[in-house]
Amino acid sequence: MSWLAIPRDWLASLGEIARFSGRVVGLVYSGRVFRFFGEALRQAGILILGSAMVIWGLTFILGLQCGIEGAYFSRSVGAPSNAGTFAAWCDLREVIPYAFGYMMAAKVGTGIVAEIGAMRISDEVDALEVMGVNPMIFLCATRLLAAWITLPFIYLVGIGVGFIASYLAVVEQVGEVSAGGYFLIFWMFQNPPDLIFSVIKGMSMATVIVLVGCYYGYTASGGPVGVGTATAKSMVLNIVLVHVIGMMGTLVFWGANPRAPVGG
Amino acid sequence: MATTKKTLVHDQEAEDQAAAETDVEAFADDVGNSSTLPEAEPYQELVPGLGKLNQDYIIPGVDSDETEPYRWHTGTKRDHGGEDAIEIIDVVKQFGRMRIQNGLNVGIPDDMISMLLGPSGTGKSVLIKLIVGLLYPDSGDILVHGESVPDMTDDELFEMRKKFGLLFQDGALFGSMNIYDNTAFPLRQHTDKSEEEIGETVNKRLNEVGLTTAAEKMPNELSGGMRKRAGFARALVLDPSIVFFDEPDSGLDPVRTALLCELIREIHEENGGCYMVISHDLGTARRIADFIAVLWKGRIVESGLSSDLFGSDNEFVSQFLNAETIGPLAMD
Repeated sequence: MSWLAIPRDWLASLGEIARFSGRVVGLVYSGRVFRFFGEALRQAGILILGSAMVIWGLTFILGLQCGIEGAYFSRSVGAPSNAGTFAAWCDLREVIPYAFGYMMAAKVGTGIVAEIGAMRISDEVDALEVMGVNPMIFLCATRLLAAWITLPFIYLVGIGVGFIASYLAVVEQVGEVSAGGYFLIFWMFQNPPDLIFSVIKGMSMATVIVLVGCYYGYTASGGPVGVGTATAKSMVLNIVLVHVIGMMGTLVFWGANPRAPVGG
Repeated sequence: MATTKKTLVHDQEAEDQAAAETDVEAFADDVGNSSTLPEAEPYQELVPGLGKLNQDYIIPGVDSDETEPYRWHTGTKRDHGGEDAIEIIDVVKQFGRMRIQNGLNVGIPDDMISMLLGPSGTGKSVLIKLIVGLLYPDSGDILVHGESVPDMTDDELFEMRKKFGLLFQDGALFGSMNIYDNTAFPLRQHTDKSEEEIGETVNKRLNEVGLTTAAEKMPNELSGGMRKRAGFARALVLDPSIVFFDEPDSGLDPVRTALLCELIREIHEENGGCYMVISHDLGTARRIADFIAVLWKGRIVESGLSSDLFGSDNEFVSQFLNAETIGPLAMD
């Protein structure tokens, strides 16, 4: 086997995933998914009840971490009142999107692979087809629509939770800056477009994670072992893609203009 | 003297021939039938563009040195006196190098319970998937009520499938729904009936299969037999004109198999339509089959009314339908 075979297989797989994703996105945009709107709402409910608290828990802890890092770093350079600078950028631009991506990949993405994969190997997907129900719409497009309905709100609340956690760490725990001083700097270093960019980053990650999960679940084969393998593969690919999206998002949204009120 | 020697040689040849004929008869007697030893016909590729046997593909059950793999396949289709709901025409289906169907021809009659019998691994379940359009043949055609399944668009296929009911081996119930919702699912998706009307139909079907008290249970709370019956109720809920049963007897004890067969028979008598059962269980065949097709090596050996097939003088059919150990079918 030529050494080129491995990257060629990767490319072929990525092409397959892209084609599958295109079909699922097309089914949502064409409105055909609304025939199963009830199922989409059910999936949305599952996302809210099953994943929101976990995501918010993680963003709270990482918000604390951003605050602590910001407080100690700004203290070390003799400017403790600037702790809000680090917290603002850390929370909004990087850590919350990544935390959201990680938890989505670990909880939602793997859950989708396991559920659809189990349905595939137990003939439930075939049963849907035989009953005249398009399983790609019923299983995949509904999950994508559910993600688009619920996740922006879960993400926004996650950002709020991270902000609160950073405030608690900088002002209440370390306590070297007043609440007013902290918020003055904290809000100076972010504005509404930053929030929109951050949401775009998070939603791009969520969309990719749901689509990758659907692909690996839908194409699972080889019994329970095959479903396990598909779940592991989806996790690996999702973590890589989360970082690629995170990096590209930072580069595109803040690379040319960091939007920092520094130096005039 | 020379003449005498010639006569002796001639006599010897006659004796050898007679002995050979006796051997053939003895073999035929061994396999339980003295009337037929089919003419050997060299194997010919049905679709030359799809490769050569043992070079580009293999057929399960066909040895690499076998030159006449279809010597038992008379392809006889005995008249069943009705019309075919499903026609399989020269279907070839291959997975990798493994050719599962190799020029399969069979008609499944309407308004009868048909049974597709054959040894394990001969592609019986694959055939159901081909008929319902879950798989596509590499060549050949499949007609359902005269319409070609492989030529249908996705939307046409989904529309056509509304006339199908399929009972999968393990029921294939949706794990996230209880039995009531599983049974109601096709009605909710494909009809504008109110919940009250849906409830009536679902309860009627669940009552028929004896699962009224289990309506609120989840699939994982049911036994294998109950899951099959629930799958049966779901398969029937849209009053399909064609119902497939993929090994309904697998994993069931003999009594429950008999009860399930009785249920299939009763519901067919009530609703009519084309029922196609896939199995290798002879008891099931004797209980419910009106029509039998015997599949082996990717082709139909013979098909016809069950009374005709059980009396067939084809050695393979006879061996298989009488579960005999001596005959064309061996362990390998």
